[in-house]
Amino acid sequence: MFLRMILRAFLRQWKKMAMIAFTIALGSSLATAMLCVMMDVGDKVNQELKTYGANIKVVPKDASIINELYDTDGENMSGAYLREDELGKIKTIFWAFNIVDYAPFISTNASLNGGDEVTVTGTWFNHHMELPTGETLDAGVVSMRSWWEIIAGDWIDEQNGDDRDVAMVGKALAEANGIKVGDTIDLKGSSGEKSLLVSAIFDAGGDEDDQVYVYLDTAQVLAALDGKVDSIEVSALTTPDNELAEKAAADPSSLSIAQKETWLCTAYVSAICYQIQEVITDSVASAVRQVADSEGEILNKTQLLMMLITVLSLVGAALGICNLVTASVMERAQEIGLMKAIGAQNPSITGLVLTEILLTAIIGGIAGFFAGIGFAQIIGHSVFASAISVRPMVIPIVAVLVFIVTLIGCIPAIKMLLGLRPTEVLHGR
Amino acid sequence: MKKRKMYMRMITASLLRRRSRMIVALLAIAIGATILSGLVTIYYDVPRQMGAQFRSYGANMLFTAVNDTFSQEDVDNAVAVIPESQRVGVAPYRYETVRMNDRPVLAAATDMEGAKSASPFWRVNGDWPSADGQLMIGKSVASLYKLNPGDKIEVTYTPVIETENSSSDEEALEENADEEFILDNYIDFEVVGILDTGGNEEEYIYMTLNDMEKLTGKANYYNVCELSVSATADELSVYADKISEGVEGINARLVKRVTQSETTVLSKLQSLVLLVTVVVLALTMICVATTMTAVVAERRKEIGLRKALGASDKSIIGEFMGEGLLLGFAGGFLGAFLGFLFAQGVSVSVFNSSISFRPLLLPVTIIVSVVVTGVACLIPIRSATDVDPALVLKGE
Amino acid sequence: MSLLELKNVSKIYGNLHALDNVSLTVEKGEWVAIMGPSGSGKSTMMNIIGCMDKASEGEVLLDGVDISKESSKSLTNIRRDKIGLIFQQFHLVSYLTALENVMLAQYYHSIPDEKEALEALEKVGLADRAKHFPSQLSGGEQQRVCVARALINYPEIILADEPTGNLDEANEEIVVELFRKLHEDGTTLIVVTHDPEVAEVAQRTLVLRNGKLDHETVNKNFTGHIKYNL
Repeated sequence: MFLRMILRAFLRQWKKMAMIAFTIALGSSLATAMLCVMMDVGDKVNQELKTYGANIKVVPKDASIINELYDTDGENMSGAYLREDELGKIKTIFWAFNIVDYAPFISTNASLNGGDEVTVTGTWFNHHMELPTGETLDAGVVSMRSWWEIIAGDWIDEQNGDDRDVAMVGKALAEANGIKVGDTIDLKGSSGEKSLLVSAIFDAGGDEDDQVYVYLDTAQVLAALDGKVDSIEVSALTTPDNELAEKAAADPSSLSIAQKETWLCTAYVSAICYQIQEVITDSVASAVRQVADSEGEILNKTQLLMMLITVLSLVGAALGICNLVTASVMERAQEIGLMKAIGAQNPSITGLVLTEILLTAIIGGIAGFFAGIGFAQIIGHSVFASAISVRPMVIPIVAVLVFIVTLIGCIPAIKMLLGLRPTEVLHGR
Repeated sequence: MKKRKMYMRMITASLLRRRSRMIVALLAIAIGATILSGLVTIYYDVPRQMGAQFRSYGANMLFTAVNDTFSQEDVDNAVAVIPESQRVGVAPYRYETVRMNDRPVLAAATDMEGAKSASPFWRVNGDWPSADGQLMIGKSVASLYKLNPGDKIEVTYTPVIETENSSSDEEALEENADEEFILDNYIDFEVVGILDTGGNEEEYIYMTLNDMEKLTGKANYYNVCELSVSATADELSVYADKISEGVEGINARLVKRVTQSETTVLSKLQSLVLLVTVVVLALTMICVATTMTAVVAERRKEIGLRKALGASDKSIIGEFMGEGLLLGFAGGFLGAFLGFLFAQGVSVSVFNSSISFRPLLLPVTIIVSVVVTGVACLIPIRSATDVDPALVLKGE
Repeated sequence: MSLLELKNVSKIYGNLHALDNVSLTVEKGEWVAIMGPSGSGKSTMMNIIGCMDKASEGEVLLDGVDISKESSKSLTNIRRDKIGLIFQQFHLVSYLTALENVMLAQYYHSIPDEKEALEALEKVGLADRAKHFPSQLSGGEQQRVCVARALINYPEIILADEPTGNLDEANEEIVVELFRKLHEDGTTLIVVTHDPEVAEVAQRTLVLRNGKLDHETVNKNFTGHIKYNL
């Protein structure tokens, strides 16, 4: 009989029930969408912040200072280098998945067209790597120097260009020497000579404007430094630093074992640096504070902002559902009065109303959950041009939320219904 | 008694005496209005607030000298082009090669307060130099010299002979030092802080402008000035052009890496907040509408009765809409302020700064609330007036 | 001319003939009761007379005007101007006081007049309860408010649908007494009921069966003062 009554209620009042289900679906889709976006916004914004370039710089041990001090204009005087054959190892560390990009650099001096000495930097442009894990990665300055403006020509494309004798020339240097795209420049280094085709002129808004960028091996030939690199810049997704991370960065040996485990298992920039140092022989990896710290700052703020907006929408959705449930249960005063008149006990009335509403809530909640994922994807695709990953956490949160909110919404209405005197209801108002 | 008075009397009676239902409706509208006003305020405020956060990336404009150096007056003139409210930090730098333990080191002198605000990402282990005789050294320098905060170090400077090529390479320096008639200037510094940036800054030592003047004997000139300006890339390039043209001796340019990236990321963030706002608002407004529809649908019988009493559809719509619109107005008004409070709360807890109330948002919120409420009420009223009063009065 | 005249009126819902070729006339000032079992077409007839429904066939002449061809908008106007309705379920607006409920009818008719509304309540003996809400009134009192509301605009016809259906004996008597008073004042009354006691007090009783006029009895014991307006 109970089931029959519920079935009847659904069939007869399908319009009202549909409206309740609809509102609950709206609320739950709102909650789902906002939770999905909020939980993923950190990763997404982190990804965006990669346009600022590397947040970790790897240099040979004890060699870092010499260059600047002796004002050697790019020539590595210290004789300390990193090994090119070890570059792949960076993608094998524990946090390999967080390393989104990296590029090696080697700088040398060479005379341009038999004239002035210029700095020639060898690097990766969009170097294609097949990782042991089966993944592939395109790494290099094309993505790590996203702020460069290509004034003429195109980025050097490592994957489609067979000709490796090409170069990109900085804007200032190009202007000073009247170099244009398509020209051929002669570079004479300390131990080698190369004729390169200029493929692009770039404006970097910095020192690079006076330099020539070439393939890694080109620079190595010019300087007779086969298989060697000066420095590596790494772009990694990191967790903003906290006290533990700072303590660890200062001295990893000061941590207790448990602390060290937490530290190594969190993507702190210092933890990633530490792991890179372990795989690259004689290297010092340090955080580029300008990028790493600012990233943390902005990430934290964005997440907090999204969290508060989420809370507001959750509260809004909750109150909206509560409200409608209250309004629509109150509407049924007459029916409930009748049930009381024919002898229904309060618990059975409560049970009936609750079952009805909760059944509606389940239908609406499930529909809303999927709609919400849809909304999240719309946001993800139109803002970040990538899908928002749905954390499993969202499901229980939304379920519990809808359940509790619906129950709370029923309370005032049920209280009112139970207080009804059947005669009053049946005999008009 | 005037007809209008009765009209008002009915509406107020309905609003005041059907309190529980009206609170339900008012609450629904107020929630919608709160979300509207709160999110829109945040949306408009995000670029400004977030832009301020992006200043943690440091300088986004650079002054370089047209002829080697420029003076404090040049800096003042140039900075005056940028509105004061947008200036976050101004740090003029002067670079010299000095010697510590007879080894050459690059020394920078600057206004420490300016540097602090222009480069907020600098981490100093110890303190910033706050008085003469205090020195901050880069991390690389510290490890090379094995210096710690509190250590004393003598910094010497050899005045350059005017005829000599000003770019002092190693041999030139040594030569100068050998010549006995040129006296070295020296200052005994106390190391107060070690600078950690992960960049080239770690290879310099930093002293106050005063000390640099004492050391070199020359005052009031700079090589570079770093500026952190809270403005969009477009505004910045306008300022830069104005300064380069208008101020003699200074060439202003943008730090592309910072400005370009900021534009990219900030526009993403703003469109994120925009989309979130649109989605949340759309859903909330529909939610408000369904609640209002439920509240009005409850009164089908009353509508039928009024019709039986001879009310025209028009007057019934007039009465119920009057009620709805009044609710919409009250809810919108309430929501506009609650929303502002929410946005204020967000701003204070996220960005540590308050926001100003946007007067325009008050009428907008109220209008939107009134329109949404009106549309939401109209649907059930219409459906009730379309039905024969006899059927409505009969019940189900 | 008769005040109300139904000529061969039928109301058909699909196959069901709710009213089947019914003709009747009601003179001005008459007090008529309509009786019949459930489903006999009483309510349909009442709705057609009360301008709340339209006949499928036939003519309905109210004051010489054929209302069966009017649009629903002008039906509303006719209902407002010429007819006072009393329902079994009372149908008072719950958030308005007794006085305001009466004034509501004035409001839709012409201009609300508090004094006149109060007088109407006095007529039904509820002057002291004018400021009470329907929920604070007994069933009888509520129905008396409805009577006051029905007569406030001096309608040509007062149409009562089971006015005593929800009332106890004592209240039923009060309401019937009110009808008697209205009749004396010259109001035309049509009362739909299945309570013979209520029907008995009218001048004549029409009995409907299966949508047809079964028979008509003239009440011999009619005690009310009869005014014939010829």
